[in-house]
Amino acid sequence: MKEKIITFSFIIVICGFFLLNLLVTDKTVSWSERRSYQKFPNITWEQIQNKGAMDDFDKYALDQFVLRDSFRSLKAHVVFNVLKQLDNNQIFVKDNMIFKSEYPNNDTSIQNFIKKIMKVKNQYLKNNKVYYSIIPDKNYYLEDSTYLYLDYDALYKMVMDGFSDMEYIELRDVLSLSDYYRTDTHWRQEKLDKVVNRLGSKMNFTIDVTYTEKKYSPFYGVYYGQSALQLKPDDLVYLENEELNQVIVENYEKEDILYNTDKLGSMDSYDVFLSGSTPLVTITNPNQTNGKELIIFRDSYSSSLAPLLITAYSKITLIDLRYMTTKVMENLVTFENQDVLILYSTMLINNSSTIKD
Amino acid sequence: MLFSSITFLYYFLPILLLVYFITPSKGKNIVLLAFSLFFYFYGEPTYIWILILSVVFNYYTGKLLEKMIHTKKATWLLIFALIINFGLLFYFKYTNFMIRNLNHIFSSNIPLIHVIMPIGISFFTFQTVGYIIDVYKGKVAASKNLLSFATYVTLFPQLVAGPIVRYQTVEKELSSRNHSYENFSKGVSRFIIGLSKKVLLANLLGEFCKRLIGLSAPTILSTWLHAIATTLQIYFDFSGYSDMAIGLGLFFGFHFLENFNYPLIASSITDFWRRWHISLSSWLKDYIYIPLGGSRVIKWKWVRNIIIVWFCTGFWHGAEWNFILWGLYFAVLLLIEKIFLKSFLEHHKVISHIYTILLVLISFVIFNGDGMNMIGNEIAHLFGFGNLELYNHETLYYMRSYGVLLILAILAATPIFTHFVQKIKENKWMIWLEPIYYVILLLVCTAFLIDASFNPFLYFRF
Repeated sequence: MKEKIITFSFIIVICGFFLLNLLVTDKTVSWSERRSYQKFPNITWEQIQNKGAMDDFDKYALDQFVLRDSFRSLKAHVVFNVLKQLDNNQIFVKDNMIFKSEYPNNDTSIQNFIKKIMKVKNQYLKNNKVYYSIIPDKNYYLEDSTYLYLDYDALYKMVMDGFSDMEYIELRDVLSLSDYYRTDTHWRQEKLDKVVNRLGSKMNFTIDVTYTEKKYSPFYGVYYGQSALQLKPDDLVYLENEELNQVIVENYEKEDILYNTDKLGSMDSYDVFLSGSTPLVTITNPNQTNGKELIIFRDSYSSSLAPLLITAYSKITLIDLRYMTTKVMENLVTFENQDVLILYSTMLINNSSTIKD
Repeated sequence: MLFSSITFLYYFLPILLLVYFITPSKGKNIVLLAFSLFFYFYGEPTYIWILILSVVFNYYTGKLLEKMIHTKKATWLLIFALIINFGLLFYFKYTNFMIRNLNHIFSSNIPLIHVIMPIGISFFTFQTVGYIIDVYKGKVAASKNLLSFATYVTLFPQLVAGPIVRYQTVEKELSSRNHSYENFSKGVSRFIIGLSKKVLLANLLGEFCKRLIGLSAPTILSTWLHAIATTLQIYFDFSGYSDMAIGLGLFFGFHFLENFNYPLIASSITDFWRRWHISLSSWLKDYIYIPLGGSRVIKWKWVRNIIIVWFCTGFWHGAEWNFILWGLYFAVLLLIEKIFLKSFLEHHKVISHIYTILLVLISFVIFNGDGMNMIGNEIAHLFGFGNLELYNHETLYYMRSYGVLLILAILAATPIFTHFVQKIKENKWMIWLEPIYYVILLLVCTAFLIDASFNPFLYFRF
């Protein structure tokens, strides 16, 4: 009897999933993993001979496996709850907050970052007042010595030594863990008042305005899908007021809009801020007549920060050197006497190969 | 195609089982042959002709040898067949190694040849060579059926990574075999245990090793952890594959011999090699050591025989000096053990186990080493040379993260779980619990495969 049960249970599982995999329609993208799925391979004799068809089929079988997300979740539970591993694919959860282990310091990357930014500064920013700051990733605030972290002091020191002729603005003491999303890498726009004040105190501006909070829920951050765990999603809050409603946005690649609400509920709802990754955006404030301009060399953290700074400036230009070379930049941006803020996160500085020359 | 892949588990295997079991007995070998060739072709489309050539050549050679048995012509034919079989193996596996060494010794500049070693050539060459030697000696009758012989050589469960199945082991089952729920369920149990060894232990231990290698500052503790994890990884990888092969054989009515018997609990190096890769060590014993005279010769010849056999063991594993060193390391250990330590080890059980596991750990540092300098450094680090810290935060993090896995792996390398299962097997609840246990293991393995980033079979490179 037992032999029959073992035999049939095995056959039911492998044949059942085989049939389900044949019957269920293929998906094109994974929302949880934020990537395209492998399609059924193009089978040609050449592809068979060079094994490309087989390799693609293996990827296809993995990607299109029915209940893929549930299986990924099962794996994560076994890793954390049975094997008691401290991370799963470098993702770990602490007090319902998801973190990604960033370790160790990549000195080559930090030097590369310094070199590329200094090249921009020496070539284009001779007449500008240049400030810089570093945004600590949320692991910085995790008070648990169990995990592996960057050596933040060493990273900050390297950058400060490299940027010795620019004015540094410290942000570590005005942020805390609750200022970041639980399921995402980014900071929360509604918690950036202290950051804005600190920047203002160093860059000589004061912003004293009130905002209306607009909330979107549920927000599944980038780590949510990577963790494959069913944790509570975040609320995403973006701040509006009359002045912000009147700003004029020019986005080099995407929609000309400050808050792109079409992105809420998309693969990455954080793209609501200035429509997400883009090489160049300008925000013009018709209500500010002081003529002051700010240029921010930035990564994705500044997408949610820039709207909070526009009250103090007539124009803010955001440049993302991950998506634009300096050659292209010099044709699109005129550097005169604007304030310049170089604002990057520790994660990008430690993985700076994406910054173009 | 890997056994531990979604393609194999949820596409190849269900289709094969369906086609195989609805085909009448007469056609079952054709089904196995066709699927085995497809299995090989899927992983090695370029060189499938070598496998087919090997089958046809050795089949007709066997027939001819049987006709000429006990004649001088038979000896010449055997020599010719050995040259062809080993020639192919040598060409694909060892030519570049020889060229590199010649270039090094004579400062020459002979260009390397552009060949990729066909998957499984070391395994199917040893199987066919064993077969023709046995036919030459009259130990087995030559196969009378090309289909049957081709099924034997290409049988996918053992084709690419062993175990090395002797013709006489499956000779009868090639023509008539029993398909039963008992066989199939034993096969399921064996296959899923093997799959779990590979996916849940070997792959995760491999990940652990990868992280230990990538430490920003290695420590003495991390070097030991790496040596232990590597040894366990290689063991579970290969014994897992052998379990899966034996289990798959049972699905189709074949009974392959055991290839591993808890080698890491061995009480001497001699005992270790009675338990590790049994099909290879018994092949080398029967086809090299015994024909050279074995131990029934004068002492220096016996020493020579041991050295030759262990050189071959090392060289079979790969065309690199570390494999040769690994084989010769065991030759020296076995000689020392047989001459000086045999009686001592027999009377000191605890010391004998510590002695064995320590030397086996070091052997896998050599086996896994990338160049003589690295091997030397790694062994020096184990014993505190090289100014390394004893431990650091990074090492402790990974030790803690992989601690449960390491303990489970160490326990699974002993017969503790097997003894426990034997004890509870007669419990009335086991009729349901055992199948549920296998289904859960299969689903967990599937989950790890779907989310996997690390899944190579180490023994595929041999």
